[in-house]
Amino acid sequence: MDSTQLTTLTGVIDKKMNRQLKQYMDICARCAICKDACHQYVGTGDFKYLPARRAELIRQIYKKYFTKTGEFVPALYEARDPDDNLLDELYDSTYACTGCRRCMYYCPFSIDTAWILSVAKAILIAAGRGNEMLGQLADAALFKGDNVEMFKDVIVSGFKDIEVEVQEITGNPNAQVPVDKQGADILYVALAGAHSIRPAAVIFEEAGANWTISMFEAANYGFFDGDIEKARLITKRFIDEAKRLGVKEIVVPECGHAYRVLELFYEAWSKEKMPFKVSHILEKVDEYIKDGSITVEKGLLTGTVTYHDPCQIGRNGGIFEQPRDIVQSLTDNFVDLTPNREQQWCCGGGGGIVAMEEFTETRLDRGTQHTPRSGYRCTSGHRPRGRSDAAQGQEAHARIDEPRDREPQRGTLRGAPFASSPDSDAQAAAYRTRLGSTARGRASNHKRISQ
Amino acid sequence: METYLWITSVWGIYLTAVVFFGGMAWRIYQWATTPKSPIRLGMFPKPKTGAGRFSKMLTDTFIAPQSFKIEPTMWLFAFAFHIAALGAFVGHARLFREFPILPELLGEAGMNSFAAWSGSIAGIIMLVGVLYWIGRRTYGPFKNLSVPEDYLLLFLLLGVIAMGDHMRFVYGDIVHAATYREWFMSVMTFKPAFPAKLLESNVGISLGTHMLFTDLFLMYFPFSKLVHSIGAFSSNLVRSE
Repeated sequence: MDSTQLTTLTGVIDKKMNRQLKQYMDICARCAICKDACHQYVGTGDFKYLPARRAELIRQIYKKYFTKTGEFVPALYEARDPDDNLLDELYDSTYACTGCRRCMYYCPFSIDTAWILSVAKAILIAAGRGNEMLGQLADAALFKGDNVEMFKDVIVSGFKDIEVEVQEITGNPNAQVPVDKQGADILYVALAGAHSIRPAAVIFEEAGANWTISMFEAANYGFFDGDIEKARLITKRFIDEAKRLGVKEIVVPECGHAYRVLELFYEAWSKEKMPFKVSHILEKVDEYIKDGSITVEKGLLTGTVTYHDPCQIGRNGGIFEQPRDIVQSLTDNFVDLTPNREQQWCCGGGGGIVAMEEFTETRLDRGTQHTPRSGYRCTSGHRPRGRSDAAQGQEAHARIDEPRDREPQRGTLRGAPFASSPDSDAQAAAYRTRLGSTARGRASNHKRISQ
Repeated sequence: METYLWITSVWGIYLTAVVFFGGMAWRIYQWATTPKSPIRLGMFPKPKTGAGRFSKMLTDTFIAPQSFKIEPTMWLFAFAFHIAALGAFVGHARLFREFPILPELLGEAGMNSFAAWSGSIAGIIMLVGVLYWIGRRTYGPFKNLSVPEDYLLLFLLLGVIAMGDHMRFVYGDIVHAATYREWFMSVMTFKPAFPAKLLESNVGISLGTHMLFTDLFLMYFPFSKLVHSIGAFSSNLVRSE
């Protein structure tokens, strides 16, 4: 391959090299214990989605250009150049990864495949093969940041429309969705769209919070794309806004990556200490319920209610109990899913995959088959885009309802324990998303229907 | 046979010692001098104290409870193999000197018979473990994921274990630790010599081949994925960072 490109791509690895990455490259035993951890591999049986394989592609380049043994005896490690073949596979395996890090949880060496894939994304971008859609969305976000005056009127008029709805819901004609409010305590950074603003605005209004809404959105397509400089600048838009307004706290919405970027990455990226606290909206709501700022009515939710831990705020963010407390303040019929908390499956919709149409099939039809099989239906109302989005925790509840009547796909899956025969339904039920006693009955009900 | 033994069980040992310890030191030096990621890669829930993190790291490294949950069969084989390997390693300490206390309690014959059955169990478990892994790498995703390095290591390991077992099961009643200790300590004190008993019986061939595989295995060790034996500690510590 072209030596300039080779230098560029290996240079990316060199620049991204750190102790963790080096160890991950050196110590993986290729035991493939991660195969049952990845929802995409379990759902599709496609080898390229096996976590260890995703990482192996980077390892093949690493072995050839960063180790003496790999340089002299490349065949021993199947070490090779980052040529078109490798980059083609790498594109699919990297951008399909939702970054849920469930493989890391089960790995005996805690190898963070998502971290390795952040290097993969940098390589793909350097090779001119970054995801086009994510790149465009990131650029659009940066353009908005640089030209905010241009957008201000449209943004504010959007907030005014929502303000009317908030006034109707709360019955308070003076309720506001304040923008650019100097001296506010809280800066709420929503997602683009009323679904992410209205409920939070109602809650802040009811709690009597001194808050203001950001003109920017929390979703970070630069992070999804894998361009860390863009990701930093996209976050910096509302960090600067928060500093300018002098807020004490930034609250991020349902978007799990936004929370993780802000709470765990931004300070390291920008090498500066943030002068405010970072909270997730679920932490804030829980706080309001517990300190009596808002009161909630028990019993409005009918049926059994559960909660699906979103990976980025659960396993990767450390928020486990607050959402459960919120749900339990709404109902006496709470059951936990099995598995739950840090072991919970990925909903399948993270990592920007919802923005990439080429992965729709992987995401919906096969990648998350465990979700319909579990026999619960998510009824959260914020993002009606698809079932894989539904479990992202925005309303902190998913009602166990009549099972889906969708006939699960059969027969073509390899390595998936629930794929090929009617018997495997029972296996699947035993194997993964088992529910509590009530729901288990429903799961077998589901089995009858699907047969 | 004497030449074979000199190559594998004297000069081979010296070379292996240099390559193994040098290689491992080089590996640790490389890791230690590469800067840490500025981003904390830990996952939740994580222990609040340093001691908690350390004990979680030890549990994750030695017990790997998460791996047990997701694939108990693999975990069982891996755990049994590593414990047996540890047992065999400890047993080989008899090459340096006799264990304290045990021989007084058991007597010389008792000690040899204890070593025989404990060594036999460890040897069998390790053999089964290696055969399991070879088998596992021959199908499905495991086959596709495997690279020649994996098979090379398993082949070398199989050689080490098979020849070790051969010495244990075929010559176990004839040649005891004291004879091997005489040879091993002569190598360690740089006055290499082979006891007549080793040269007279055919055990020399087994020992030479056992050592040949051991030399190759340990010389390749620092340059292979087996550095997980030291790397797992720090990578598991990162888990709760």
